[in-house]
Amino acid sequence: MLALFIVISLGAAFLISLFGRKSKVFCDITCNISTFALFLLSLNSLFVVRQYSTVVYKIGGWIPPLGICLVLDGFSAFMLVTLNLVSFLIAIYSINYMEKYTDKYKFYSLFMLMVAGMNGVILTGDIFNLFVFLEIASVASYALVAFGVEAEELEASFKYAVIGVISSSFILLGIGLLYAYTSTLNMADISLTIAQKGFSSVILFVSVLFMAGFGIKSALVPFHAWLPDAHPSAPASISAMLSGVLIKVLGIYSLMRIFFNIFGVTEVMLTILTALGAISLLVGVFLAIGQWDLKRLLAYHSISQIGYVVLSIGLGTPLGILGGLFHLFNHSIFKSLLFLNSGAVEYATDNRDLKKMGGLKEKMPVTSNTSWIASMSISGIPPFNGFWSKLIIILACVQADRIGLAFIAVIGSILTLASFMKVQKFAFLGKLNTTLDKIKEVPVSMRLSMIIFAAICLFGGLLLIPHLMEYFLKPAVNVLVSGTEYAFTVLGG
Amino acid sequence: MNNLFLASLIAPFIFGLVSFILPKRNKKIPSVLALIVSFFTFIFCIAIFVSKSQAINNVGIFFVDNLSGFITLFIGLFGFLIVLYSTGFMKGKENLNKYYAYVLWTISASIGVAISNNLLFFLTFWGILGITLYLLIAMGTGDAASSAKKTFIIIGGSDALILLGIAIIFKINPFLEISRIHIPLTSSLATLSFICLALGAFAKAGAMPLHTWIPDSAETAPTPVMALLPASLDKLLGIYLLFRISTQIFIIQPNSAMSLFLIIIGSITIIAAVMMALVQHNFKKLLSYHAVSQVGYMVLGIGTANPIGIAGGLFHMLNHAIYKSCLFLSGGNVERQTGTDNLSKLGGLVKLMPLSFIAFVIASFSISGIPPFNGFVSKWMVYQGIIELGKNGSKLWPLWLSVAMFGSALTLASFMKLIHAIFLGQPSSKKINQTKKAPVVMNIPPLILAGLCVIFGIFAMQIPIKLFIAPSINGQLSFSGVWNSSLATVLILIGLFIGFIIYLIGSLKPREVNQFIGGEDLEKNTQMKPSGVEFYNTVREIPLLQFFYKKAEKKFFDIYEQGKRLTFAINSFFRYLHNGVLPTYCVWVLLGMIVIFLIIM
Repeated sequence: MLALFIVISLGAAFLISLFGRKSKVFCDITCNISTFALFLLSLNSLFVVRQYSTVVYKIGGWIPPLGICLVLDGFSAFMLVTLNLVSFLIAIYSINYMEKYTDKYKFYSLFMLMVAGMNGVILTGDIFNLFVFLEIASVASYALVAFGVEAEELEASFKYAVIGVISSSFILLGIGLLYAYTSTLNMADISLTIAQKGFSSVILFVSVLFMAGFGIKSALVPFHAWLPDAHPSAPASISAMLSGVLIKVLGIYSLMRIFFNIFGVTEVMLTILTALGAISLLVGVFLAIGQWDLKRLLAYHSISQIGYVVLSIGLGTPLGILGGLFHLFNHSIFKSLLFLNSGAVEYATDNRDLKKMGGLKEKMPVTSNTSWIASMSISGIPPFNGFWSKLIIILACVQADRIGLAFIAVIGSILTLASFMKVQKFAFLGKLNTTLDKIKEVPVSMRLSMIIFAAICLFGGLLLIPHLMEYFLKPAVNVLVSGTEYAFTVLGG
Repeated sequence: MNNLFLASLIAPFIFGLVSFILPKRNKKIPSVLALIVSFFTFIFCIAIFVSKSQAINNVGIFFVDNLSGFITLFIGLFGFLIVLYSTGFMKGKENLNKYYAYVLWTISASIGVAISNNLLFFLTFWGILGITLYLLIAMGTGDAASSAKKTFIIIGGSDALILLGIAIIFKINPFLEISRIHIPLTSSLATLSFICLALGAFAKAGAMPLHTWIPDSAETAPTPVMALLPASLDKLLGIYLLFRISTQIFIIQPNSAMSLFLIIIGSITIIAAVMMALVQHNFKKLLSYHAVSQVGYMVLGIGTANPIGIAGGLFHMLNHAIYKSCLFLSGGNVERQTGTDNLSKLGGLVKLMPLSFIAFVIASFSISGIPPFNGFVSKWMVYQGIIELGKNGSKLWPLWLSVAMFGSALTLASFMKLIHAIFLGQPSSKKINQTKKAPVVMNIPPLILAGLCVIFGIFAMQIPIKLFIAPSINGQLSFSGVWNSSLATVLILIGLFIGFIIYLIGSLKPREVNQFIGGEDLEKNTQMKPSGVEFYNTVREIPLLQFFYKKAEKKFFDIYEQGKRLTFAINSFFRYLHNGVLPTYCVWVLLGMIVIFLIIM
């Protein structure tokens, strides 16, 4: 069953590129059906994890340390649901949105390729395999950022590709050193070997390489510089995908998996993580508040929200990890929604500059209301989902005796609120700009997707109800809390 | 009991939702629906207040003690009165279904704040209240978008501070039931938490330095909204929070640092806001500065940390909610009937709108602290609290006392200006003369509130203090001075009667002439009349004050503007660093990696 996640998405990418040129409808249908199937499968994986806790699929029947295996545990099930939910809703949105561009089938096949790469990263139990999938997703995303092929987009894509390659080479170098040291590529086996051989300076150097490599992928300050160029330049559905899930799957997931489950996290690393998180949080939000380009503003907020996630997980306490993961999920929902909103505004008005908007509320009720809900969510206003995860994060900081971090989180939250109030004021409230008299609300598929996202924002807080938490968040937290026991559960099962 | 709580929470919420999804075209149904629902909610609130004595033992998620009982009662009352008023005031406006939905949600969330026993529930309702405030202000005219933005940044930002405060409380003792938390204010952690929560209360109630959203939104928001939220509910709830944190969750000792902190905030708020009020030209803005200034008395009263002062602060909160919404509503009548809120365009309305005039004058006397109205009694109690402070060894009490009294005098002065400019004097234009009386539904609420001002003043001891205030504070109330308000009222009435007789004897046949100014008939040259707007303009010219007024008009004292300036300074620094050059970014990556490397090794 686990292989299906990769097979379906890769297969869809293949089919679309083969037959998609003839018929757009075929692309739409294939992409939506396959992402929907993936979403159902990922929901199913929650129940599987609940029942068996860890499932290992041995490719070709080879026993783990020798062959490649796929591993499904609480953390990966959590990430799978996040990824596939977002990608399914974005696929719906793209049906109408991508009509603006030519060559829709190329978009869809790259999109599915990216989804395949991310599913692979989440599921694989082999570190080199992880690198391969990571590259698949990254390369697809380089191409997608440049999809508009205007000068600005090409430049952004170029910067993104260069910095992305730097990160990949760090990661590859790290994997090489790790292989030299442990003579194995299986993640569980690496973990065991390190436990036996001890924590030598090679591992420390590898940690630095991974920290920088995956730090670039997750856009932590100071490794963030590619993001504010790349995310706004892509088509809105891809921006949503990049900010919503790509930086989390390639960056946060890999980082946490490697540091918590393979190396076994140490106090120093936790300190570095919290420091990176706090810096990203503040720098991101200070940069965001002055932006007038709607999508750029959102992109900077991605940096700052990722800061929350990393800061919270970096506390290392179960409460902190819970808050971080929950915020990760919430962020992927509301940030995708915000990018989709910006796409809708751009679709209707051909414009991303906040100064030239105004009064869109009258003309575009669905877009403005859903964007209002998302703004409330990201600013942490009750009762929307962002509030609950920020609540846990701040509680966790205070519980861990880190009042300073809690204070930073509060400042970040106030500034986030301020900058989204700015967006609401300039884009949606006020008088309608006279040049925008003829605009219309966006087509149905885009509205549907935004409404579903908004509903999740509204009711996302319910995931904290103990019964639901047992299925979704708790298993993921347990995996990270139990640390290097990962190796035994994978190799034993 | 729990059913009652749920009914009072859920009924307005659900019907708000119904009103929200009603079609836009329908103008009648939302108002009728809101009227009925708010009336029943009021009944529920009365029931909660009456049955509170049974509930104290039964502590769950929701609970009601004497304090929250009477707060709930008045939330219900204000909610109902304002909906009643809105049916007249908002007639014919756009988006009525949404307006009533937001008002109903506001009522629901306010009740939720008052009856929550869990700090998280409390915070959630508090946050929702901020949202509805934002939505209601954004429905206004003019630059409503800006003031709504500013309001929500201040309110929502202070919510984040409250969250931090609650997190610290949870750290100190691991439960969140308000009724169980008692933390001594000894550790620095507890003090930090207290300050965070107090700032949240200040932002909601509108004490300095977080008050600036009130005057800004006063100009643009619909008047009933001002009467409902900043004038009444926000005061009730903000001071409710301040009371809870300073007497129950934490306990402030008299003459402690935190007590001084509150007293200083209170005094500055009283004097600075009233000075700003003196020179306003827009009556809604003028009233809103008073809404800030009066908060000072409440904060000051609670800051004295002795029973009489705290009781005075609480009583003043209640009185303020009554007279200030009365002022906004009767002022709203004027605005609605004349179409302007600019003082220089009004005047001479006393004959045309006598009922609004009566309500307005009574409320003005109340707010200025003139006996026998309710504002006097509560200010008197606050003064006693300050004097009590002196007995306990504070050196600075004469300063606080004179600030409070001076503030009261200036309040009276600015209301003289207001009454003159709106109701007395000559009409400023022919158009004003055609003003019609306000409809009945718009006259009833201000008159009821004015009636409450009188009753709560004359029978202060017998009704409000006995029923609401004294049970809410745990200490014994002892009055150092004697103030028998009923006797005093009789004496005042006798005095007035004698004065009237003297007036009758002295001027049996007055001579009536036209008014002239500079040899011209005033009726024909209305621009020459003393409109009242220019009153106190000389205050601006006083050297030191001139400096402060200039700065204040440039929003120098506005913490929001200063924060904005700081934020954008930091922002431009970071933007300077992001020059868009790829090699620079690569260098950052390497530098970052080197730093991590050094730390790990």
